Amino acid sequence: MDGKNIVKKDAGSVEATRSIRKAVPLVDIYENDDEILLHAEMPGVRKDDIMVNIDNGRLTLSGTRLLGKQGAAEWEEFGDVEYQRAFSVPQTIDIEKVKAELKDGMLALHLPKSEAAKPRMVEITAG
Amino acid sequence: MFVRIGDLDRMFGTMGLFRDRLGTVFEDFDRSFGSAYDWTATGTFPRTNLYDKGDHFELTAELPGIAKADVHVKIQGNYLEISGTKKVHVPEGYSVHRTERGDSTFTRSLTLPADVDSAKVSASIKDGLLVLTMPKSEAAKPRQISIG
Repeated sequence: MDGKNIVKKDAGSVEATRSIRKAVPLVDIYENDDEILLHAEMPGVRKDDIMVNIDNGRLTLSGTRLLGKQGAAEWEEFGDVEYQRAFSVPQTIDIEKVKAELKDGMLALHLPKSEAAKPRMVEITAG
Repeated sequence: MFVRIGDLDRMFGTMGLFRDRLGTVFEDFDRSFGSAYDWTATGTFPRTNLYDKGDHFELTAELPGIAKADVHVKIQGNYLEISGTKKVHVPEGYSVHRTERGDSTFTRSLTLPADVDSAKVSASIKDGLLVLTMPKSEAAKPRQISIG
C-alpha cells in the first residue's frame, strides 16, 4: 500500500480549534464520620468556571482559568489552563447535599455521607 | 510542495496533544513521590508572569490556598523577592486519606527589566493569584521625544 493513502485528508476543513492546556490539580482528601472533604488547588479560577459533576460513583472536577490578553509579556510561566481530575466516590454519598466553596484559589468540596452509611453505636440492652 | 494552512494547523494541534499527554504522565510521576521528594525545580515556585504595561509592570503569581498574611514581597530597585509559607491545616476531627499539597516555605527572587518606584507598588491577592502593580521609576518610563 502506498504510504500516501494511509492518512486520509479531509480536504477543505480549516479547523482552528485551540485546546487549552490541561493540568491536574493537587488535592488533599480528608474524611470524618459525616463527610468526605476534598481540597483542590485551582489558582486563578473563578467561581463560575468550576464544574463539579457526580454521576454513577464518578466525581469529575473541572476548572478553567482564562487570563486573557495581558499586554507585552516580559516572561510568562503560566497561562490559560483547564484543571481536570476525576475520582471514584462511594455510592453512599448524599449527592443532594454536596457543598462546594472556593477560597484563595482553593476549592473545598464537602461530600456528606448518607444517613445509612454513617457509623452507628449499637446500644446493648441488659436482658 | 504546497502546504496548506489547515495541514500545518493540524500538525501543531497533534503536537500539542502529545505534549499534553506527556505532561500528564510527568505530573502523575511527580505526584507519586509526594511533596517530600519533590523532583520538580523548587526554585520556580510560585510561577510568575510579568507584563510591561508602559508606565508600570504587572506581575502575577500563582499562590493557591495561601493566606495574605503568609506572603511577603520585598522590592529594591529592580530586585523583587516573593517569600512566604504555605500551611496546610488538617481540619479538626478528620482523618487524612491523601495529601498532595503539603506545607512548604518558598522564596523566589526576580530581576525586573527596569527599576520600579517601590513606594508606589500595590499588591493584592484574588482567587489565589497575587497581582503586583509596580510603577516604573521616572528614569525608566517611556518618554515621548519631540523632534525639534
